Amino acid sequence: MVAGQKKLVAVALVMLCGASLVRLVHAQAPAPARRIVSLVPALTEMLFAIGAGPQVVAVSSYDDFPAEVKKLPRVGALLDPDLERILALRPDLVVTYGSQTVLEAQFARTGIRAFSYRHGGIDTALQTLRDLGMATGQSAGAGRTIRDIRSQLDGVRARVKGRPRPKTLLVFERQPRTLQGLYVSGGAGFLNEMLTIAGADNVFADVARESVQPSHETLLTRAPELIVEVRATGLLAPAEAREEQGTWSALASIPAVQNGRVHFLNADYLVVPGPRLGLATEALARVIHPDAYK
Amino acid sequence: MVIRERLAVTVGGYGALALLTCAVAPLVGSTPISFSRVFDRSIPFADNVDAQIFFIARMPRVLAGAVVGAALASAGVVLQALLRNPLATPFTLGVSAGAALGAVLAIAMGAAATLGPLSPVPLASLAGACVAAAIVYGLATRPGRPISTSVLLLAGVTLNSFFSALILFAQYMADFAETYRTVRWLMGDLDVGSFGAVGATLPLLMGAFAIFALLPSSLNLMSVGTDVAATRGVDVGRAQRLAFLGTSLAAGAAVALAGPIGFVGIVVPHLVRLMVGVDHRIVLPASALFGAAFLVACDLVARTVIAPIELPVGIVTALLGGPFFLWLLVRRS
Amino acid sequence: MALTVTHLDFSYSAFALSDVSVSVQRGSLTGLLGPNGCGKTTLLKLLSGVLRPRHGEIALDGRPIAGIPRRALARRLAVVPQETHPAFDYSVMEMVLMGRHPHLGAFQLEGPADLAVARDALDATGTLHLAERPYMTLSGGEKQRVIIAAALTQSPDVLLLDEPTASLDLGYQLEVAALLARLNRERAVTMVLATHDLNLAASLCDTLVLLRDGRVLLQGPTRDVLTGAAIKQLYNVDADVEFHQRAGHLTVVPVRRA
Repeated sequence: MVAGQKKLVAVALVMLCGASLVRLVHAQAPAPARRIVSLVPALTEMLFAIGAGPQVVAVSSYDDFPAEVKKLPRVGALLDPDLERILALRPDLVVTYGSQTVLEAQFARTGIRAFSYRHGGIDTALQTLRDLGMATGQSAGAGRTIRDIRSQLDGVRARVKGRPRPKTLLVFERQPRTLQGLYVSGGAGFLNEMLTIAGADNVFADVARESVQPSHETLLTRAPELIVEVRATGLLAPAEAREEQGTWSALASIPAVQNGRVHFLNADYLVVPGPRLGLATEALARVIHPDAYK
Repeated sequence: MVIRERLAVTVGGYGALALLTCAVAPLVGSTPISFSRVFDRSIPFADNVDAQIFFIARMPRVLAGAVVGAALASAGVVLQALLRNPLATPFTLGVSAGAALGAVLAIAMGAAATLGPLSPVPLASLAGACVAAAIVYGLATRPGRPISTSVLLLAGVTLNSFFSALILFAQYMADFAETYRTVRWLMGDLDVGSFGAVGATLPLLMGAFAIFALLPSSLNLMSVGTDVAATRGVDVGRAQRLAFLGTSLAAGAAVALAGPIGFVGIVVPHLVRLMVGVDHRIVLPASALFGAAFLVACDLVARTVIAPIELPVGIVTALLGGPFFLWLLVRRS
Repeated sequence: MALTVTHLDFSYSAFALSDVSVSVQRGSLTGLLGPNGCGKTTLLKLLSGVLRPRHGEIALDGRPIAGIPRRALARRLAVVPQETHPAFDYSVMEMVLMGRHPHLGAFQLEGPADLAVARDALDATGTLHLAERPYMTLSGGEKQRVIIAAALTQSPDVLLLDEPTASLDLGYQLEVAALLARLNRERAVTMVLATHDLNLAASLCDTLVLLRDGRVLLQGPTRDVLTGAAIKQLYNVDADVEFHQRAGHLTVVPVRRA
């Protein structure tokens, strides 16, 4: 064995090295998930929006959008994820809440990938779309969805540009017939970001929290010019809407109450940082600047 | 000093304290208001922010704090005597658990029924309190015989556990928003926003106070021994039933108005006993007055200490109550 | 006749008093004697009106006590229980003043007259100097005397005592016995005491009622009733009953179980 054999060995060695290199590269980039279980409704929406819908095999107890999820099996949610059912579906990716660390540890032992949901503002939601796209091999779809959202937001920005920005109270939680126990958006979080894009200033912009529970006194002091109540469900009948407006009339010195600028918005996409947040922002803008949408 | 003098001095002193606290509290808050503007008749009420803050936000709150504080403190005194146990609270016999269950169910079902100025959750919690009191009463009484206080205590504690389990279950089945709301309600909230809510519960509270006024002498005698009390002319069965009725009314109405605010019903009676002795004829009125001042002061702290964020008043009373108990224990040993 | 019991029947779940008839003379010192579970304490509770009989009648100076209003009864009849455990830290004076309750109106507070009665009672029991002390800090003998003082402030005609010397040492036993004898003599208070202590009964009581298994075995003057045969029937104990010269009364010396 002399020159010819040496050449053969060299080529074989190169091919071997090359082959292992390729295998190494493939090991670093995991294969796109084929069977996905989602415990987080917002991310289920995202999965369907980016085109990974066919890869979703099960969803949480609280999922109801889009319509396709109605046919899918349910596996629990934040407090009660059904590990056995999830494992029986043989997923390769499970979308979990960030706090479900025990569950994620269990998946790690079985070799299932966990995608941990982080709650944050609009940028976080867009980043989550990007990450989901990579994890499911739908980067193109993710890119499209992100571009759509961005253009919706830009559209809203354009419409409300230059208009006076009312001091707004954004209420996302309230018990019927009383102003006790109000939860409103503070100066942080995606609700606040949507409000800002929609052309209004948050009356609690100086409070760096996502949610604030104002007392009657604080409401009177802050004196918002516009009040928007967003609800996920429960469309108010006209009689109920009038009663709830009446509840606000107790605080008659608030400009929003005096000028009749108390609005109620009902839609599930309003309180969830999902792919329809562009739609949500537009809905807010229509209420804040109705004349911009004539 | 003779009892007559002691009673006059104590009621006078604590009464003055309560009045002073209630007079000062509405003037202080996270927003500075001008007293002259508040009472300036030339500004229409709907435009007068200072007046709205004073009459809508602060006055009802101070009034609610005063009546709830008085109710919880006096109910605490009476129950401690009835059960012959200095660790009893107005919530020991299950009334607050019943009220909490009522509130949780109202929140979970999105109840919207109102009765006058009472909104759905206070209404439901009042109903829950009544149900709990009725169950405990039914378990512990036999016609014509005095109530066995050990059965009463057991019934109350059992009901507390059972209802707490039901509350946990309801919270587990509810969604985030409802659970959040329930937890918030359980911390107590004096921000009632209108005199109407206070007015609605006032008849119940006045009824409770009227009942309490009949009891102090009997409580003294019964706390030495129920048989001996009977031989000294006390109708023990009647006094026990009245005590139970009065404390259920007081605790139920207080919880319906402001949620379950803890520690007032146990800290105030003990503090007052340290200052005025153990004769219930003095301790009961003094506790009611001191309880009013105490809760109004705690609420003042709660709404100003980290403004614009407000602490639930139950947290302030707990923060004061916990170290107080430690101190009591250390003192005893 | 101060107290008369006629054909009384009463029962708890596992115990019964049957056909009990007792008469207590005004001004007498009557002892209720018997083994554990014979019904002494129950009979006292029935006499004081805390319990109601199923059949039969109890009368005070001829009037059935069932018909006497609670407060009125409390002004004439007081009880000294076996043990007193107040739930709160009352002072001696506060404990004693509670005895004035049946004499006060619904919202009435004690006045100088009531205070005088209380001080007098404390004085009679030799505890006046303890008036401002917390009750719970007293010794056993002092506590018992304060409780007797509290009963005295009710200004009763009849005093019922349940084992008044049970938890006291020898010295206090004699002291309380002497106190009761003096009160009976000086204030003409009729007394009925339930006791285990045969020698106490012998020294103090002029009349005895012997109870066994819920029935009256024997009743009458002490010297007639307190005999060796009676003690054997009551306790199944062989005992010598003799008049002790120096003590001045009958004494009982248990010898052996019969």
